[in-house]
Amino acid sequence: MGDLVWSSVVDLARMIATKEVSPVEVTRAFLDRVATLDGTLKTFITVCGDSALEAARAAEADLVAGRAHGPLHGVPLGLKDLFNTAGVRTTAGSKILADSVPAEDATVVRRLRAAGAIVLGKLNMHEFAYGPEGLNAHYGHARNPWDARETRVAGGSSSGSGAAVAAAMVPVALGTDTGGSIRIPAALCGITGIKPTYGRASRAGALPLAWSMDHVGPMARSAADCALVLRAMAGYDPADPTTSVLPVPDYGAALTGDIKGLRVGLLKPFFMDGSAPDVVAAVEGAARALQGLGAIVDEVRLESMGHVAAASFAIVASEALAYHAEWMRTRSADYQPDVRERLKMGAFVTGVQYVRAQQIRASVRAEVDGALARRDVLLAPTTPLAAPVLGQTETSIGGTKTDVRSALIRLTRPFNFSGHPACSLPCGFTADGLPIGMQLVGRPFDETTVFRVADAYQRTTDWHRLRPPLA
Amino acid sequence: MRSAMRLAGFAWSDAELETIRPGLERALASLEELEKLPLGDTEPTTQYRIV
Repeated sequence: MGDLVWSSVVDLARMIATKEVSPVEVTRAFLDRVATLDGTLKTFITVCGDSALEAARAAEADLVAGRAHGPLHGVPLGLKDLFNTAGVRTTAGSKILADSVPAEDATVVRRLRAAGAIVLGKLNMHEFAYGPEGLNAHYGHARNPWDARETRVAGGSSSGSGAAVAAAMVPVALGTDTGGSIRIPAALCGITGIKPTYGRASRAGALPLAWSMDHVGPMARSAADCALVLRAMAGYDPADPTTSVLPVPDYGAALTGDIKGLRVGLLKPFFMDGSAPDVVAAVEGAARALQGLGAIVDEVRLESMGHVAAASFAIVASEALAYHAEWMRTRSADYQPDVRERLKMGAFVTGVQYVRAQQIRASVRAEVDGALARRDVLLAPTTPLAAPVLGQTETSIGGTKTDVRSALIRLTRPFNFSGHPACSLPCGFTADGLPIGMQLVGRPFDETTVFRVADAYQRTTDWHRLRPPLA
Repeated sequence: MRSAMRLAGFAWSDAELETIRPGLERALASLEELEKLPLGDTEPTTQYRIV
């Protein structure tokens, strides 16, 4: 049973379909795991044990009767607790919504259930998704399973999703990403997570942080697993007018391991300059590994990156406060302090500054498009540092003092701003044994190539297969 | 800060405003820098839809 929970999503789906294991057996194994580890890791806000077992028994009966639902039949899944779930509370990690029970599933949840997935529970997160550390004053701070002393953050805002997948409490989880909230916990917890192109996956029924920057995506241990799950959840949704009508490709069919001749642009200034030496070494090592697989690697400079932080602030702060305005007038004491302070800042951004930021956004997107016109993917560190200690507010990178929160989102935020797909995957460890992540950025709606490169790398490396000490 | 806050429809106390002053001053200074960029008539991204 111990190894069952470490199986990939692809293998679990296959083993269930061929009746090698039953959905009930698989669901029980993960629920046992949650019961053992959640007290330490604080990954779940709500465990749906009874309904998950009921769904697993139904899935088993369907299999016996020859009625398989889809590619994820009987596979357990965790949801960041901002995806609406019919009849199950959806707190967004907040006190304000502690008793909020939606009537309907979010579109992506409905699609994943239709594909056969079983919802195991709702996962911890930074309150209202507004923070990259993954802190939560109401439900406890999710812990990073790679730190045996239980002192390091999992990264956020999808902290429970990152830690639960890393500790094999769920084989896959959904997260959202407004400035890096899928990719940051993926990097800090040593797993794989993709923020697809803006418009690729529906946001309907997912509580927003900033509508024009929010993305929904899967987090799992491998690119192949993320590819399987993204295919099942992506595509046009009339309930989200920003979703694209482009058909969703069979990502898995492109995972051949062959990347000969693909062009990879290594993002150097801004991305590598401000990163810790062990992070730089790991990403350069990954670039050499991709070269060894036949990819053509060159160095890329993106001139506009220095403007992204300020412009993103103007957009996220304004949109977030617009959503939270009523609660900030009537219940501001119910927010955790860091989130309350960030929300207040939105009151001081002018309309002119917001529009100016959207102008900059258009120019940044054009520059990233230009870099990708001559290359298939871009490569960069996901975060410039590994998991910080809980409560740490400052760090030193290359001798320069920097704010932890700003550092964590510095390298991921540009691609929320531009909307390009970006996948984080493990590419090494620090001397302290903490995971290091790299991100692969693709052309709009070309998640296929991103997955293809990530999968080829993972076929020749073991970083994503290593197990953390707290698991 | 007080007048901007009131204009936006909020009524936080002076003490509450003071907690955000250092971060806000940094953020507003960085926004002022954006004013210097030669963006010309670049169309802002209003409807963010790629395809």
